[in-house]
Amino acid sequence: MRAVRALLLVAGVGFGLWGVWLMRDFTSDRLLSTGTWLAGGILVHDAVLAPLTVGLGIVASRLLPHHFRAVTGLAFLVWATLTVVFLPVLSGQGGKPDNDTILNRPYLLSWLVLTGVLAGAAVVAGLRRRARAAGRTAADAG
Amino acid sequence: MRLPTVDDVERLIPRPDDFTSRARGTGLSARVGIVLGVAFGICFLTGLWSHVQYDPPGWLPIGPQPTQLYRITQGTHVITGIASIPLILVKLWSVFPRLFIRPPRGPRALLVEALERASIGALVGASIFMLASGLLNIAQWYPWDFSFRATHYAVAWVAIGSLLVHIAVKLPVIRQALGAPLDEGTDDGPNDSPDERPTDDDLLTRRTVLGGALVSAGLAALLTAGQTVPFLRKISVFAVRDGEGPQGLPINRTAKAAGADETAMDPNFVLELIVGGTTMTFDREQLAALPQQTHRLPIACVEGWSRNAEWTGVSVRDLIALAGADPRSDIVVRSLQTKGAFGVSVLPKQFVEDPRTMLALELNGETLSLDHGYPCRIIAPNRPGVLQTKWVQQLEVRS
Repeated sequence: MRAVRALLLVAGVGFGLWGVWLMRDFTSDRLLSTGTWLAGGILVHDAVLAPLTVGLGIVASRLLPHHFRAVTGLAFLVWATLTVVFLPVLSGQGGKPDNDTILNRPYLLSWLVLTGVLAGAAVVAGLRRRARAAGRTAADAG
Repeated sequence: MRLPTVDDVERLIPRPDDFTSRARGTGLSARVGIVLGVAFGICFLTGLWSHVQYDPPGWLPIGPQPTQLYRITQGTHVITGIASIPLILVKLWSVFPRLFIRPPRGPRALLVEALERASIGALVGASIFMLASGLLNIAQWYPWDFSFRATHYAVAWVAIGSLLVHIAVKLPVIRQALGAPLDEGTDDGPNDSPDERPTDDDLLTRRTVLGGALVSAGLAALLTAGQTVPFLRKISVFAVRDGEGPQGLPINRTAKAAGADETAMDPNFVLELIVGGTTMTFDREQLAALPQQTHRLPIACVEGWSRNAEWTGVSVRDLIALAGADPRSDIVVRSLQTKGAFGVSVLPKQFVEDPRTMLALELNGETLSLDHGYPCRIIAPNRPGVLQTKWVQQLEVRS
């Protein structure tokens, strides 16, 4: 395992340096823009998306009844990650005004349907869990 | 009143233990990480493959066969990249508390920690960069000042390199995590009062999060893959392209955007064929009078959309033979376009030799429309769409 790890380490450092070397001829404007996007991605995740998710989790764990916690968490996971994937097509940016063969679908409508379906699924699953738990309690009492 | 000290500020920053969700954990990070690592590997290899298409080195067998190969590799590249986004978000969620681990004491430990943090920073920064720039590029949204192709290519090496370093560092942890059951120690028990203690399945487990991440990745792929997978066209409601367009084919760049709209419609248009020192010219009627062939060939764009179409036109091999040129020659193709990249492309000899490589005049049974490359365009099997030069004005056979 030591050999494998050493090999991975050497190859990894080599690949990374090769990537940096490939940028040697970039103008300072390009480098600045590349650096902004490299650091910006980390910043947007670590300072915005992640704290927001943690905050929502804390709020949800205080407000939501127990039976709804896991299903809401799962629905949120799917909803939030897919929403990030679909942000470009939802943004209205991109494409060209004279080309209607790109970005030509009703993305907002699809996203609203997706949101509705996931929210509905979470509510239904939560209610079923509560009913099942109530049934168990009744059976225990009886 | 006194000014806050470093300790006061430090107390405000959360510690790893402050993150209470038991669904996070090494078992989850390792498993999502493995799937994500495989996805990155696929993206990297298909990306390299796409990169070499533009300027194929002689030793690589890049040619017209298999006809659909680039369509499949580039479709896979984009679909896998899209599916990686939910995975990386869940992976980062799982390890987020580790961001707040306090630096160790002692210069040696501090140095090791700093190096590992730097490699993680490179990995996270490069990974997000690759996925974000790719995702925006397929929507033709370019909010940056760098050249997409050169930068996406260079940063890919940084991403894969830092991934290998990360695997090297974490290998023992990964092996240990995979050896233990995924949901060991997720019981939230004693913190809850007895009457509100939930049944086990009311807590978000690592298994559920792992399943959710995989479902989300699958859905992301399914809901966008229709731009290249024909039977998913109706399902992929979030795809950038629906596969439709004039004459049954999407357009990447219009004639207007390429600055070719006026010259292409010029009634005095002639195609120039340069062989050696001599130039032959053909107007469109003369081209249409030459023997025509029809083949079903794909347009496969680097942006990940593709579609087959029926192209009719003159075999390039036969055309240059009229001027006495050897079919085993590279051809420099020049377009009427005045704006944007790839106005000049090289058609390597292995494509020229294939009789299906043609100067197309018709698309799906109709005269090629202006945005599809009227008066004539190059169509060759198994090439990136951007090299299927439109509005062709000149073919120069290289001896």
